[in-house]
Amino acid sequence: MSIVRDVAKELLGMFLADARLTTTILILVAVVAALAVGLRVNPILCGGLLLAGSLQIVVAAVLREARRLRGSR
Amino acid sequence: MEFISWGVAAPAIGAAFLASLVEVVEAFTIVLAVGTLRSWRPAALGTLAALGTLALLIILLGPLLDRFPLNVLQLVIGILLLLFGMGWLRKAIMRAAGIIPLHDEDAIFAAETAQLRAEGAARKRSSLDWIGGLTAFKAVLLEGLEVVFIVIAVGAGRGLLWPAALGALAACIVVLCVGVIVHKPLARVPENTLKFGVGVMLSAFGVFWTGEGLGIEWPGQDFALLVFVALFLGVGLTTASYLRQPREVTQ
Repeated sequence: MSIVRDVAKELLGMFLADARLTTTILILVAVVAALAVGLRVNPILCGGLLLAGSLQIVVAAVLREARRLRGSR
Repeated sequence: MEFISWGVAAPAIGAAFLASLVEVVEAFTIVLAVGTLRSWRPAALGTLAALGTLALLIILLGPLLDRFPLNVLQLVIGILLLLFGMGWLRKAIMRAAGIIPLHDEDAIFAAETAQLRAEGAARKRSSLDWIGGLTAFKAVLLEGLEVVFIVIAVGAGRGLLWPAALGALAACIVVLCVGVIVHKPLARVPENTLKFGVGVMLSAFGVFWTGEGLGIEWPGQDFALLVFVALFLGVGLTTASYLRQPREVTQ
């Protein structure tokens, strides 16, 4: 059973290592999907938002984690 | 035969090769610890059993991929790639900035060897061989799962499963050949640099597939992927460089 537990942990860890990062990415995709599919906003604008949002999210996640780790030292 | 654009094929093959290289090096370190400390029999059996399990998984789940419409597949894989790739990139940037320690294969080898020794002190040889085999099995299975996901993720969206799988296979062969020759943990592989590169590529693929899945037609089509790679790389390096700068201590 330990192997099954480890495999499940590994799979979850692959995608959900940082809960806040995961949540923000999913929110971004949901917003872009609502704009592109629901409101039929210009696809290029939606693509730009997806790209810029992803870049912003990764930078924010790194800076937040860096502040947290430096603060705890 | 459908024409495969190098604009999208090269990053797919490259991402599969580099990501697999990182994962195979990690698995190799643990298999080597088992083989060196105990014997090569449990190490080889554990490795073969794990490869068999992974192959079974691919045979069972692979055909399911054809049942989904392409845009759904691209969207799901794109989101998973964003989650996986940006997670890797975040960690690689922090390692590059010196905020978290670099991955150290020598340290992992030493820790794994110490653990096997400690278990060996309390158990008979036959049960220790069993533990060694299981350790190798788990290492190859867990790292292999990531390789399988990456191959599917970068290959399934554009019918590039075979090229991506070949990229992964090439990585296995390279690690195995170098490992057999040097016969010690491959500590000189620039693992963080590789992880940085792979995180960049997977994140770029994630944005690309998610957009395609949502019906976005990227300007320049497949070549947009190269622009995304450049942007993620630039932003990642800039962030790491910003974090490396010494800070003034404020009260």
